[in-house]
Amino acid sequence: MKPLLISLVLSGAIIGGSFWVTSGSSRPSRAIPENNVSIVDGKQIIEIWAKGGYQPRKSTAKAGIPTILRFNTNGTFDCSSSVRIPSMNVSKSLPQSGSTDIDIGLGILGTLQGSCGMGMYPFEVEFQS
Amino acid sequence: MTAQTQKYTFHVHGMHCNACILMTESELADMPNITHVKSSLKNNSVEVIGDFGNKTPKQIAEELTIPLKSHGYTVSVEKQIKEKKWSDFKIAVPIALGFAVLFVVLQKIGIVSWVGGGNVTYGTAFVIGIIASLSTCMAVVGGLLLSMSATFAKEPIRSLDGHQGQRGEKIKPQLMFHGGRIVAFFILGGVIGALGAVFTLSTSATFTLSLIIGIVMLILGINLLDVFPWAKKLQPSMPKFIAKHAHGVSKLSHTRPNGRGFSVGRALTPLLVGIATFFLPCGFTQSMQLYTLTTGSFLKGGFTMLAFALGTLPVLALISVSSFSIKKSSKAGVFFKSAGLIVILFALFNLINSFVVIGLLPPIFNF
Ligand SMILES: [Cu+2]
Repeated sequence: MKPLLISLVLSGAIIGGSFWVTSGSSRPSRAIPENNVSIVDGKQIIEIWAKGGYQPRKSTAKAGIPTILRFNTNGTFDCSSSVRIPSMNVSKSLPQSGSTDIDIGLGILGTLQGSCGMGMYPFEVEFQS
Repeated sequence: MTAQTQKYTFHVHGMHCNACILMTESELADMPNITHVKSSLKNNSVEVIGDFGNKTPKQIAEELTIPLKSHGYTVSVEKQIKEKKWSDFKIAVPIALGFAVLFVVLQKIGIVSWVGGGNVTYGTAFVIGIIASLSTCMAVVGGLLLSMSATFAKEPIRSLDGHQGQRGEKIKPQLMFHGGRIVAFFILGGVIGALGAVFTLSTSATFTLSLIIGIVMLILGINLLDVFPWAKKLQPSMPKFIAKHAHGVSKLSHTRPNGRGFSVGRALTPLLVGIATFFLPCGFTQSMQLYTLTTGSFLKGGFTMLAFALGTLPVLALISVSSFSIKKSSKAGVFFKSAGLIVILFALFNLINSFVVIGLLPPIFNF
């Protein structure tokens, strides 16, 4: 059990130490605007923030209008940087920081489900008439 | 006293995988008075047809044990009663549940968003590696490592000189895994940096890969519980293939088959798995690779992926150390059962998620 104890302490120190050293660079994620759906030039834009999951997790939009999903990233290195929408066969890698548009055509009535590339962070868009 | 060929069935202690069938069969087939030998993993028995004069079954069993002893097997007339030790679960279940809760809590507090924006230095890559190892990548890479290490730790070691349980032999597969992983991350990271292109697997390839890994982990996990003998047959056949190959080579050169197959399997399998983790569906690894491609240089790319891999090392090394520091003691059963349960949980998590990704299931986990 001795080597286990030593390595437990050692890895704890490394992990704690590196978080302490880099703690200045981490900041709480910004507040998510309440209305993330807007219509610009007849196109519906749904903004979703991707970092450690998707915010907002559920969006409500209008069906039947040309729609763009806009994913915003800021220092996103986790799974949420790879977006997957199975029903539309979309697999898209987002840059670490920036915004990426995914054109999903006319919003179809019902719920569009998506997740990150590993499947554990979900998001959905409900298209209403 | 007439010589007669007769059929005998004996119990073999120490058989646990497909390679053991090959090993026992090839050793016994080399004995001059045996004409036919068939090992079975299902009930840990061996069937031999041969001429043993009028020796008693007990004497024959002793004779058959001689060539097998150095490989760690014993042949006997009576069946070895195997204790399943269900009581171990009283401790193992809470440990596994505690682990699962810790895993969920780590995701819920949002450790993944601790990385700030801005420039990625080698230091950031290192921290991202640490976070990755505490996050969902843990379920894939950590789960795979745990299932492999615990399985190796459980298998008695058969070295060429017949000495069992040497410490070096236990640590070797672990070193092969971590070494292979770190070297592969540096070299492949460098290649990505130099070429400016990522090795991306298609969604269906990723799905197939995670499905295979999920199933392998599930089988290894069930085997670690040591209560379902039927699962032994399902043990992945890669070591068997390697063992068979090594046997074939030694047969060809007319040397006696030895424990080589095991050593090759023990070194090569972890090495390959370590290298393969570069391609495993882990979000952090993939986005680090995407970043690496923007570096535009072999060294920068290589060092970025190296820093990331080193960041994942503390947690992964902990898994390795915990499995090889476990000795044959009363606690060992609890350790293997806890590890088995954790591996099963991770395997189910990975399998469900991979079905979500291809759209066969709606998203279930919500971190
Ligand atoms: Cu075996």
